[in-house]
Amino acid sequence: MFKTACQEQLLPGETLKEKWEFARSAGYDAIELRGKGDFHFRDRLPELRKARAEGVVMPTVCVDMPHFFGAFDDDLRRDAIEQMKSQLSVIGELGGLGAQTPASYGMFSRRLPPFNPPRSEEQDREVLLEGLTELGEHARKEGVMLFLEPLNRYEDHMVNRLEQAADLIRAVGLDSVRIGIDSYHMNIEEADPAAAVLAAAPLVGHAQVSDSNRLQPGAGHLDWPAWLGALDAIGYDGYLAVECRLAGDPFQAVRSIPSFLHRSAG
Amino acid sequence: MTTVLEAAVPSPGAGRRAHLRQAATHVLLDNWTGAATVPSRALYPHQWSWDSAFIAIGLRHIAPRRAQRELETLLGAQWGDGRIPHIVFNPSVPFGAYFPSPDFWRSSTAGRTAGAPSTTETSGIIQPPVHALAAWQVHLADPAESRRRGFLPRVYPRLAAWHRYLSTSRDLAGGALAAVVHPWEAGLDNSPSWDAALARVEPAPQRSFRRADLDHSSAADRPTDLDYARYVRLATAYRDHAYDDARTPHAFAIEDPSFNALLIASEHALAAIARAVGADAEAHRRRAEAATAALISRLWDPAGGIFLARDLVRGEPIAGHSVSGLIPLVVPGLPRDIAAALARTARGPRFRLGQVHLVPSYDLTAKEFDGNRYWRGPSWFNTAWLIHRGLVQHGEAGAARRLRAQVLTAAYRSRFAEYLEPYTGEGRGIRRFSWTAALALDLLHASDEGDPAR
Repeated sequence: MFKTACQEQLLPGETLKEKWEFARSAGYDAIELRGKGDFHFRDRLPELRKARAEGVVMPTVCVDMPHFFGAFDDDLRRDAIEQMKSQLSVIGELGGLGAQTPASYGMFSRRLPPFNPPRSEEQDREVLLEGLTELGEHARKEGVMLFLEPLNRYEDHMVNRLEQAADLIRAVGLDSVRIGIDSYHMNIEEADPAAAVLAAAPLVGHAQVSDSNRLQPGAGHLDWPAWLGALDAIGYDGYLAVECRLAGDPFQAVRSIPSFLHRSAG
Repeated sequence: MTTVLEAAVPSPGAGRRAHLRQAATHVLLDNWTGAATVPSRALYPHQWSWDSAFIAIGLRHIAPRRAQRELETLLGAQWGDGRIPHIVFNPSVPFGAYFPSPDFWRSSTAGRTAGAPSTTETSGIIQPPVHALAAWQVHLADPAESRRRGFLPRVYPRLAAWHRYLSTSRDLAGGALAAVVHPWEAGLDNSPSWDAALARVEPAPQRSFRRADLDHSSAADRPTDLDYARYVRLATAYRDHAYDDARTPHAFAIEDPSFNALLIASEHALAAIARAVGADAEAHRRRAEAATAALISRLWDPAGGIFLARDLVRGEPIAGHSVSGLIPLVVPGLPRDIAAALARTARGPRFRLGQVHLVPSYDLTAKEFDGNRYWRGPSWFNTAWLIHRGLVQHGEAGAARRLRAQVLTAAYRSRFAEYLEPYTGEGRGIRRFSWTAALALDLLHASDEGDPAR
C-alpha cells in the first residue's frame, strides 16, 4: 500500500496544522513542504518544529527557487548549493527523508531558440557531478537524501530521463543521492515509463505525481495502473507526493487524489 | 517416487503473496514491448495468439489498459477470413531469431486470398480460442476504462468473425466441432496424442530448415528433430494451398477436446460481450449449446472418464489420455455426471491431481509419458489455470484451493518457468515466462476474492 503526500500550497488552511487536518481527512499520509530561497525555509524552522510537535508528518521538501545547482552563472549556482544544503539540514532536523531538486528549471531548452546552450555537455556533466557530490555529502552528514529530479526537455536541457539521472548518481557513488521521479515528466520523456522505473529500480528514492497534463492524477490520460504497478514491483515504499495544478473545484480535486491513486494501484 | 503432500503446499502468507505479486508484475512489465507482451524475451520474441489471451487475463490486474491493448494488438493482425494467426511477427526481430520465420509462412503473399494482412507478417495456422474469454475478463477488471476506450464494441466484431471462421471453415467433419490441422494449433504441440497421426506425415528434409528453439532450451526438453520435420511438412502443405481450409488435402486433421472446450467457453463469453454491446447474444448461446452437445456426442469416452481427440483422417478416436481431455471442465453447463467423472479422472492414477505438481500434460501411467519433454508429460500453468477454473465452476472447491496453492508456490519457486517436471516440480524450458506470471497473478487475486466469485 502506497503512502501519499500532498504539497503544502495545494492544501487549504492558514497553518500547517490546519492543512494537515484537511490532508488527513482527504486520506493523505503526509505533507510535502516547499523550500523557497534566501534561507526562507530555514527561517520557517519555528513554524515547522511546532507543526511537527502537533503531529504533522513532513517527510520531504521540494525546492521552490528561481535557480538551481546546475545554473550557468557561478554565483547563482553557488547560492543554489548553499540553499539546498540548508534545506537538507532543515528536513534532517525535522526527521524527514530528503529534499528534491532538478538540475535546473526554465534556464534552457534544446527544443526552443536559441537551441544551443552556452555550456558544452562535458561542462554540464562536470558541474552536475560537482554539485551532486557536495550536496550528497552534506545529505549523508544530515542523515537524509538528495533526490535528483529529471524534468522534461522544455524545462531542463541536462537531465530529462531516469537513465541520465542514474548515470550521474552512479558516477557520484553516494547512497545519499537518489532519483526523485515525476510521472508528468516521465510521460513526456520515457519510451515506457513503467519499464524505466524497473530499470532504475535501486536508485528510485522519491516519487511525485501529476497527470499527463500536469493536473491532478485522474484528470489526464496517464496509464496509472502500469506506472504504479512498476513502483510496487520494485518494492518502492516511499511516498507518492502530489505536485500538480488543479482542475475543477480545488478542494474536491485535492480530495479526489488519494482514493484515485489507491484504486489505480489495485 | 516423490509425492506432493497437501501439507507441503499451503496457501502463501501475506508477505509471500506480496513477493509473488511483485515478481510476477516485474516479469510482465519487462516482457511488454509497447503494444503487446512477448512470451519470453529469450525464446519467443514475437506475439503469440493464446499466450496473449492468457497474458491479458493476468495483465488486467496490473494495467487494464495494457490488457486491452494486448488483445487489440493481436486482433489487429487478424485475417480477412476471421482467423487469428498463432504468431504475429515483430518486424524489428531478425528472421533467424525464431523458426519458422516470416519467410517460411509468407503470409502476406501466400495468405492473400484468405485475407492475410499485407503489412504485418504472421503465421498461417491458429491456436486455441481463449480470446473472447480473456476479453470479457479484461472488460470486467475495469468496466469504466473499457467503456471509455470503446474496448468491447471494437473487439466484438473481430471476435465474432474469429468464432465464425472456426465454426464454418474449420468444421471439417460437419459435426459442429472445429478441427485443428497442425499439432501446434491445439496448443499441446508434441503431445503423444498426435504421434500416430503425425507418423503418417512424411518428414520434410532435415536440411530444409534450421530450428531456433534449441539456441535457448535444452534439446531434452523440446520436441525431437523428426517431429519438427513433420511439423514443417504440414505447414508447408497448408501454405502451398494458400491456407485455404477447403482446398488443402489435410494429412493431419483432429477434433481436439481442449480446443473445442475453449471455443465453447469463449462462445459463452462472447454472448456476454454481445449483450453488453447490444448485439445478438442468443446466436452465441445457441452455438455454444450445439457445440457442447457435439463435444459430448463425438469426443466423450464414458469408459475412460475423459474426452478423447478424434482423428478425422482415420475417422476414429485417439486412444491416449492427455490433459486436453480434462479441459472440458471449463465448459459452462457441462452435465454434472461428466464433470464429476472428469474430476475423478484428474484425481486418479493417470493425472494424480493433488499428489504431483499441477496437472501433468499426459497420462502418468502411459509408456509415452516423459516428464521433461514439453507437452509429453510436464505440467503447464495454463492448463492448471483452466482446470482450476473448471473445478471452481463445478463445485470442487477443495481441489481448486489446493491446485491454486500449488500454482502460486510453483510459479514463484520456479521463477515463472514455462513448465514443470510433475514429480519433482522442477522448472523446465525457459524462465520468466509471461503466461506463468500472468496466470499466477490471476490466481493470486482469486484467492483474495474467494473462489465462487470467479
